[in-house]
Amino acid sequence: MYSIVSTAVLHGIGSIPVCVEADVSEGMPIFDMIGFLASEVREARERVRTALRNSGYRLPPSHVTINFTPADIRKSGSGFDLPVSAAVLAALGVIHQEALEGTFVTGEVGLNGRVQPVRGVFPMIAEAKERGLRRCVVPEENRREAYMVEGMTVYAVSCIREMVGLLNGDGGKDADGSFNIEGTCDVESEGAQAETLPDFSEISGQPFIRRACETAVSGMHNLLLTGPPGAGKTMMAMRIPSILPPLDHAEQMELSRLYSVSGLLAGRDTLIRERPFRAPHHTVTAQGLAGGGVHPKLGEISLAHKGVLFLDELPEFKKETLEVLRQPLEEKKVRLVRLLESCEYPADFMLVAAMNPCRCGYYPDVSRCRCTALSVERYLGKISRPLLDRIDICVMVPQLTFRELLEGGAEESSADIRRRVLEAQQRQKERYRNEIFSFNSQIPAAKIREYCGLNRKQESDMEEAYRKFELTARSYHRILKVARTLADMDGHRKILDRHLGEAVCYRSPEQKCFGNLWGGGGD
Amino acid sequence: MNYAYWLANIPGIGNRTIQRLLAQAGSARELYFLEEKGLRALKGFGEKEIRAIVESRGKETEPAYQTMLAKGISFLSYEDDEYPEKLRNIPDAPYGLYIRGRLPENGKKTVAIVGARRCSEYGRAVARRLGEQLAKCGVCVISGLAAGIDSAGHRGALRGGGMTCAVLGCGVDLCYPVSNRELYYDVLEEGGIVSEYSPGTQPLPRFFPARNRIIAGLSDVVVVVEAKSRSGSLITADHALEQGREIYAVPGRMDDALSAGCNMLIRQGAGMIVSVEDFLKELSSGTFPGTCPDSFEKLLLEKEEYLVYSCVDLRPKTVEELLLETKLSMPELAAVLFALMRRGFITETFKNCYIRRL
Repeated sequence: MYSIVSTAVLHGIGSIPVCVEADVSEGMPIFDMIGFLASEVREARERVRTALRNSGYRLPPSHVTINFTPADIRKSGSGFDLPVSAAVLAALGVIHQEALEGTFVTGEVGLNGRVQPVRGVFPMIAEAKERGLRRCVVPEENRREAYMVEGMTVYAVSCIREMVGLLNGDGGKDADGSFNIEGTCDVESEGAQAETLPDFSEISGQPFIRRACETAVSGMHNLLLTGPPGAGKTMMAMRIPSILPPLDHAEQMELSRLYSVSGLLAGRDTLIRERPFRAPHHTVTAQGLAGGGVHPKLGEISLAHKGVLFLDELPEFKKETLEVLRQPLEEKKVRLVRLLESCEYPADFMLVAAMNPCRCGYYPDVSRCRCTALSVERYLGKISRPLLDRIDICVMVPQLTFRELLEGGAEESSADIRRRVLEAQQRQKERYRNEIFSFNSQIPAAKIREYCGLNRKQESDMEEAYRKFELTARSYHRILKVARTLADMDGHRKILDRHLGEAVCYRSPEQKCFGNLWGGGGD
Repeated sequence: MNYAYWLANIPGIGNRTIQRLLAQAGSARELYFLEEKGLRALKGFGEKEIRAIVESRGKETEPAYQTMLAKGISFLSYEDDEYPEKLRNIPDAPYGLYIRGRLPENGKKTVAIVGARRCSEYGRAVARRLGEQLAKCGVCVISGLAAGIDSAGHRGALRGGGMTCAVLGCGVDLCYPVSNRELYYDVLEEGGIVSEYSPGTQPLPRFFPARNRIIAGLSDVVVVVEAKSRSGSLITADHALEQGREIYAVPGRMDDALSAGCNMLIRQGAGMIVSVEDFLKELSSGTFPGTCPDSFEKLLLEKEEYLVYSCVDLRPKTVEELLLETKLSMPELAAVLFALMRRGFITETFKNCYIRRL
């Protein structure tokens, strides 16, 4: 007898539909599986045979052929055990073939017939629904992920017998019968998010850095915080997601897919609702950051999609590791090409980096800093020019003074700041509605004149500054973009002097690293 | 053949030994032709030294001397008339001097500007300004080309359009520290580079205290801008004292480690530099040709600019501090800072740290 089951193989952050066909016929007692299988899928043969027997189904001594279509796509991953089991059982007549129509099946099985969780359930189910499937069988542990797809009937099963029972409509015949059928998306719990995120109101003082963070977020500029240890760089960075605008539904879906593929969605009740904050340790490899492997896995930059990628102790990162950031920072995605497959992962993140000004961390406080000029220069020089070119805002976070510590009281909360950020971003979106970009940080060089125009006096001021600060064309443009953002925050259509001055204050370091180092004191 | 060059380059024979040899033998030439018996008759020299002299006679020094000249490095010995007069009179004067560029003429006034390599922004600014004003008065600035104060002194002199000389603790064809290469060539153009070590000698820690005696020796006045207690700059001051030079120090706050050495010098009787103008006046009333630098332009600042300018100190201040002190909003403060920077009243010494320009 012949049967067919729908399933899918993960590819990048999406999936490719795959059908598992089973045929049981007279002949040599062989269990054969074909269709461009990876070794973990080929092993399914032993798992399925044993699991079926241990679940109480007897395989007759007949010729069993399993075929995976389309045959030209490599099948990998552990989610094929359950579809193969279902196909065999349907071919044997244990499951009604009509019960499998319009049903998506995925899951791994153990030798005792228990169903184990798999990665990527959310995108597979979401895409199955788009293809018109209305029902899915998923491992019990992946139940919540499947529920997130609205309009899908979910059969969450913990063993093969349970799947058979549910599909044949006998209901759950387990003793407790507690499993849930046909779940839907859980009630949206709005309050959950605000409590967990760190808030800007918890930081006392430091108005300058707060302002810099707000500016960075308003125009989606990348940010570099430098300062002595204990000045609060990390604290600031951790609070940046709380002033980013909330994710819309499409973004939530996209993020949930990403996290599902990485196996990070299991056990969650809802879609990913808060902006991610990823802070990889500085020992991370280039592959860990950008993604990679024989079968490309998501890197930190993709997990930080729509959120913040925080690189603490920036100079401690390996140079090659940081260089991989360059292309994703421009293109907002990363394309990984490997021998067997190539895929494109989104990587639209805001880069926030933090660093000490020198090895001991106290430069330019000469009374405490113990570094030589050369070592300071070398330390700062670890960050390459091209990377600095992609960071629009750079500020020095000074140590908190005692006065600030004492006077620190009711500070502005993240919610208030976020409101202003939203307004500023709205202005940008309106202005750029006919453009391919939507934030000031993304204005291409050719459009700078159009969107960041200056008046005569400002131009002559900037010309003077250009010479005095030894600016480059690139850094000049960055100053203009940040000035544009400051004007947007102010609600002004034109860039005013004060915006320009503030933007100059935030400009990122020039060739001479951060200013005049010892010995290089010329001006 | 240049006998002095031969004498200065005998391995194992140092400056002191040369002086003792010449005291008995007369000149390098006479020493060269002195027979071994005559050498042994000289008092106070060991077998090792005599062997070194005898062996070195067999080796040709002339080709090396000619290559050195071809590279633009000249050699002066104590016996030469062109040997700097000031240096001749100090105890333990170097026998040989290697020079790239030129030395100040004998009558020219010279001031040494020395101080810490790891100096503060304030110190650097003071050194630069002293160098500049001295150069404008026609004074040659002597220093050691080290990072920090030394470099600032040289740079100031160059900016003032005057002459400046650097005394190195390595061969004159080497630039140490390497980061000062640009400055090295600038100094070479406007003055000279001097060392008692033959070309190609790598810098060693013990060379630097010895080098300091030459800095003091070439100068009429030694100015210590910033020095910690027990620092190399104080060694220079000690040499200066020994050589009977005038010493001036820039005073600092009492708990400032970088000024501890200077304050100690002042307590011991060194001259105090209260202002650059005052210092120049004092110098010109003594030995120096009197020219006073033009006074600074009067500050014509707007109200807010004045407020910010008066808060900016000679110690770098951060934006946070200025925000607190001026009570201005960030955009207002930034606009004023930008204007002040453009007009050259203040500089940004490090990211978001500002000081006054002197």
